Amino acid sequence: MGYGRFLLKRGVQGVGVVWGVVTVVFVLRFITPGSPIDTVAPLDASQETRQRIAEELGLDQPLYVQYLDYLAELLQGNMGYSYISSIPASVQVFQKLPATLELAVAASLVAVALSIPLGVISATRRHEPADYAATSFSLLGISTPNFWLGIMLVLVFAVELNVFPTSGRAYGFGQTLAAITGPEPFFTVATAWLASLFLPAITLGTYFTALITRLVRSGMLDELSQGYVRATRAKGLPETLVRYKHVLRNTLVPVVTVLGLQLGTLIGGAVITEAVFAWPGLGTEIIRAINARDWPILQGSLIVIGCGFVLLNIAVDALYAYLDPRVVAE
Amino acid sequence: MKIGPISISPRTIRNLRKEFRSSGLARIGVVLVVLVLLAAVFAPLIAPHNPRTQTLDQAQLPPLGFTDTEQQTRSEMVNGSIETVTENVTVNATTTYPLGTNSLGQDMLSRAIYGARTSLLVGFFGTVLAALLGVTVGLTAGYYRGRVDDLLMRTADVSLAFPSLVLAIALIGLFSRFQADVAYRITDPLVSTGFAGWFRELVGLPTPMPETVVLPTVVILVVGFVNWVWFARIARGEALSIREEEYVKAARALGGSDARIVFRHVLPNAITPILVLATIQVAAIILLESALSFLGFSGTTLSWGFDIAQGRDYLSSSWWIATVPGLAIVLSVIGINLVGDWLRDALDPGIEGEGGL
Repeated sequence: MGYGRFLLKRGVQGVGVVWGVVTVVFVLRFITPGSPIDTVAPLDASQETRQRIAEELGLDQPLYVQYLDYLAELLQGNMGYSYISSIPASVQVFQKLPATLELAVAASLVAVALSIPLGVISATRRHEPADYAATSFSLLGISTPNFWLGIMLVLVFAVELNVFPTSGRAYGFGQTLAAITGPEPFFTVATAWLASLFLPAITLGTYFTALITRLVRSGMLDELSQGYVRATRAKGLPETLVRYKHVLRNTLVPVVTVLGLQLGTLIGGAVITEAVFAWPGLGTEIIRAINARDWPILQGSLIVIGCGFVLLNIAVDALYAYLDPRVVAE
Repeated sequence: MKIGPISISPRTIRNLRKEFRSSGLARIGVVLVVLVLLAAVFAPLIAPHNPRTQTLDQAQLPPLGFTDTEQQTRSEMVNGSIETVTENVTVNATTTYPLGTNSLGQDMLSRAIYGARTSLLVGFFGTVLAALLGVTVGLTAGYYRGRVDDLLMRTADVSLAFPSLVLAIALIGLFSRFQADVAYRITDPLVSTGFAGWFRELVGLPTPMPETVVLPTVVILVVGFVNWVWFARIARGEALSIREEEYVKAARALGGSDARIVFRHVLPNAITPILVLATIQVAAIILLESALSFLGFSGTTLSWGFDIAQGRDYLSSSWWIATVPGLAIVLSVIGINLVGDWLRDALDPGIEGEGGL
């Protein structure tokens, strides 16, 4: 099987997964107690009004018609309209998405920047103080609920020391870029942006920092015991080159695969981090939609997240196959 | 040692012992887990107060070793007119409430002890459910391969494409359709038999304790449903390789039924990684439960996550209300993760990094 066919197969599977996600969110709405009519209609609505709303929402149709309609609308990019604000769900979801992406990317950057050096140091200085420090940190990191960590960070850095804001998002990444040419002083905007992003990013990033540190450490320990390492050392390659060019590279391939699967965990973490910091992103929107039974928003959010998951994992697989051609051959 | 069709070889037990002796972390883990387990089981005997009793005049007391200043206002006659005087009053900790009290004057220590019950019940039963579902799916997929495998593993992919926390919240809404009450109450045998009362009288703590244990059934169902995928992935991988082993081929040649082969030959040989994963999953599920109760979806108020949510509103005045239950979570989860590391290092099933929060 060639590389192109491999990607095509992955793509087809990805479409299947997205279809599965769409079907699940549709079924979920249908079988969850409470009719959408109750959400939309006023409390004192007459039977006729309720009937009219049911017709407008297509709820009077047989289930399979509703399902096919839903699929057809989705294919045209229509995710329905919020039951509460009547704004198109796609608009509302994509409005909230950047704040969450910003948080997730910042957290991932923190995680990657800290965890890889920590994991490498830990593995190459096994049983030294640096290893114990990194191992204890990573154990603590995977054992701490991130919402509690967030609250503790707020307690220390916002309430007691008053160096970071307790909650909210001062400026977005886009606004900060715009400030370079815009009327607002860039430095003030950039500092406020980073200050409001700092605690949420640490809160969300800590678990992943700890997780990747553990993965890199154990992966490197495995690799370091392999025959090829001795061979490259015997060949006279400098130790740094052995470690970073060969060992680390081979370690990172499976690590990236595991992380691709953890995107759901990252977004789930973002949901609760946003709840702690009143971060105006998709997570806050999802919780609001669940509490208000605003199904189109919840469904739209889940579909967008599902698509992100599929695309990311295809990218990871493509990278994996590129780095290790044996995967394609299977 | 033999448990059903699963036998634990003397070598395995030797490895476990060796690792336990050489690793201080494994011992710390076991001690922590045993402590949390004892706290959960014997909560009605050891909790100094009833975790639900409110003593409003004792609200927001700091833990031992700390003092708190509180602003009090009162009206006073000054030069013939009434003025409001604000003064700082120092609130001292008392040994009656060693870890302080919350905004309702409930004892934080007793709530931390009782919270262990909720976390461990959900962690244990949730993991059992996830394992039953996931292992069944995974073994089926790996054993039959082909279309069955494709179908089941794509289902697993769909499940992974949802953020676990959001899926859990959505499913709580769904499951409450079948059970109006999100939690089920069972009588606490220690209290109903009168043993707790007798014991507390004996040690001089004659407080009546809650007569029921809250079993958050919906949360258990939901976390089991959300976390089955990790078990399915591991079980499938194991089944794929075990089915090629000579003894499986022999069993098939002898005419053993598929169910018998999977149950008697494949499952027992796949049990090590499943057990290690289960340990890690208990920790992950406890974290998930705490997140659900933090957001107010768990159906019980005797939960560490719920207490953290309460404490969050009093962060600037009473930091301990959110801090104490969080520390309880961290200590229990560290303990379970250390036990997981011990099992993994001793049994070496090669499953690094599967199974997130």
